[in-house]
Amino acid sequence: MSVTRPVRCLFCRFSRPTYAVPRVPRRQFHPSPAPLSNDQNPKDPKTQEDKMAGKKLLVDIERDAKPEDFKPLTQKEKEYLATVYSPKQMESIEAGEAAIDPKDLAEQFAFQRGPLRHHYADDFASIEPGVDKHVRAPISNTDYNAKLKSEEDFIEDFGRFFAEMPEDVSASDWVRFVEGLRVTHGKPENELAPHSSLVPDLFQPGESLEQEEPKEPRPEVVTTGKVKEGEGMDPTLRKLLMATGYTESFVNSLKTKVLVRRSVVNQTRLGKIRKASVLAIAGNGKGLLGIGEGKSAEFVDAVTQARYRAIRNMQPIPRYEQRTIFGDVRGKVGAVELILMNRPPGFGLRCQHLIYEMCLAAGIHDLAARVERSRNPMNTVKAAYEALMSQRNPEEIARARGRKLVDVRAVYYSGRAY
Amino acid sequence: MVFTNLAHLCSHLNNVSKARLALTSIPNTKMHVKLCLAFQREGLISSVIRAGRSPPPQHLLLGHPTMEVINGVPSIEPVTQSNIASRRLWLGLKYWQNEPVLGHLSAVSKAKRKITLDTAGLRRVLRGERSDMVQGLRNPGECLFLITDQGLMEARECLEKNVGGLVLVRVN
Repeated sequence: MSVTRPVRCLFCRFSRPTYAVPRVPRRQFHPSPAPLSNDQNPKDPKTQEDKMAGKKLLVDIERDAKPEDFKPLTQKEKEYLATVYSPKQMESIEAGEAAIDPKDLAEQFAFQRGPLRHHYADDFASIEPGVDKHVRAPISNTDYNAKLKSEEDFIEDFGRFFAEMPEDVSASDWVRFVEGLRVTHGKPENELAPHSSLVPDLFQPGESLEQEEPKEPRPEVVTTGKVKEGEGMDPTLRKLLMATGYTESFVNSLKTKVLVRRSVVNQTRLGKIRKASVLAIAGNGKGLLGIGEGKSAEFVDAVTQARYRAIRNMQPIPRYEQRTIFGDVRGKVGAVELILMNRPPGFGLRCQHLIYEMCLAAGIHDLAARVERSRNPMNTVKAAYEALMSQRNPEEIARARGRKLVDVRAVYYSGRAY
Repeated sequence: MVFTNLAHLCSHLNNVSKARLALTSIPNTKMHVKLCLAFQREGLISSVIRAGRSPPPQHLLLGHPTMEVINGVPSIEPVTQSNIASRRLWLGLKYWQNEPVLGHLSAVSKAKRKITLDTAGLRRVLRGERSDMVQGLRNPGECLFLITDQGLMEARECLEKNVGGLVLVRVN
């Protein structure tokens, strides 16, 4: 960021304990800001602690919102807005402000919920790393004629400090002196807040370039935990969610279909034992596809078993331009031999119903298929899956051969073929 | 040009890459040399070395067969009347992620039926369409090798030079 900063660090070392937050921005190795509290689990001891300590919960803030909290824009704020917006826009802003009654605001005030909610409470007055764009120091801060102080200058500075030292000198005097000690001649902004065209460092939450002074810590807000997931959920579904890490909504959004259902019989010396055998597929329509088999005394159980196993077995399938397959691929299971062939855009799925359903679930839109020899439904599905998984990635081929392969379609349409 | 040799070469290389061998030898003929060099140009094999009945030394770092170092100079033994019968071509085979880089080889022209392609037919084949007896190249990385009056080349190279020729092998 700046050449002078490390030097400042060195001099600031003693002053560290006097500040609540670190003054020198330190790089965070992840872009997401630390959540203010764990809002996932109401049983979390930290949430419990916050509750006991009398800290405000999000629900409390929502409930306690008063019309007085929503103040109209002050003259100063309006002046600032006028620098950003045109007079016409300002008119509409003012009209909008006037149209909404603060009482309504207080009544209807709520924090955003759902997937788009913020995971932290923010007053948007400070820079959040990873969320906000960085504010760079203005270029006018730069002083091209700045020079590093020589040893004599430092001796002079120290001499001045000792000469002007008060009678009852304390450690804080020394700290203040070291803090204020400059290492260059020239504009002070050039050293303290230099302009840099490089990507700025990420900051600690709450830190900004403009305000070097530590701010008052924001009121800590605790969000309530939502209703515990899995309450009244089917145990098999819960097991599936735990095993796969998928959310319930994701599982519900998947396209599953029972392709083969049949009744099978086991002949024992006591007699025939009938069971239902089911083969299902699952896919997300965006390249994931899995097949699963289930067997149970009841068809309903076999179907759920097969569906969940298909979801567990879901694997990514390579798709060319997210519509067809790479090359022509063959699959063989038992006596079923089949070939899947890639086709141009708009060709559609011209294949038999089982492969059609699989393509629909996987998100393949242009394909032709031929099933040779046997046409056993179960083996057809398995062979088609095997064929889809046996696609070769052109990039891998290029790396293996040490030659450059170019997708001419992608070049012609400059990567916007789909 | 002996086409049975070509068929033997195809099946031998298929067997070898199924067995995941790093090194193999084939009889030394002019067509084999040209074909193997074309394979090497395409990056399908790592090296082609003419040597005797025993394999040539390995490359220090890469491990594929390489030239012998005689008096500090890498060189191959010159072919003479006395040693020509014992000469063989030693091929270094390539593998990537446990799969052979040289995929399935199949001879297109047979001893009984030679197949030639002119540039128009070649263009159709490279577009993925069938031309006479030659299926189109429809898989990523699929290659077709032709012998033309300008040498043995890959189909795309033939089309660049606007020559047709006798179709030898297809590598999938």
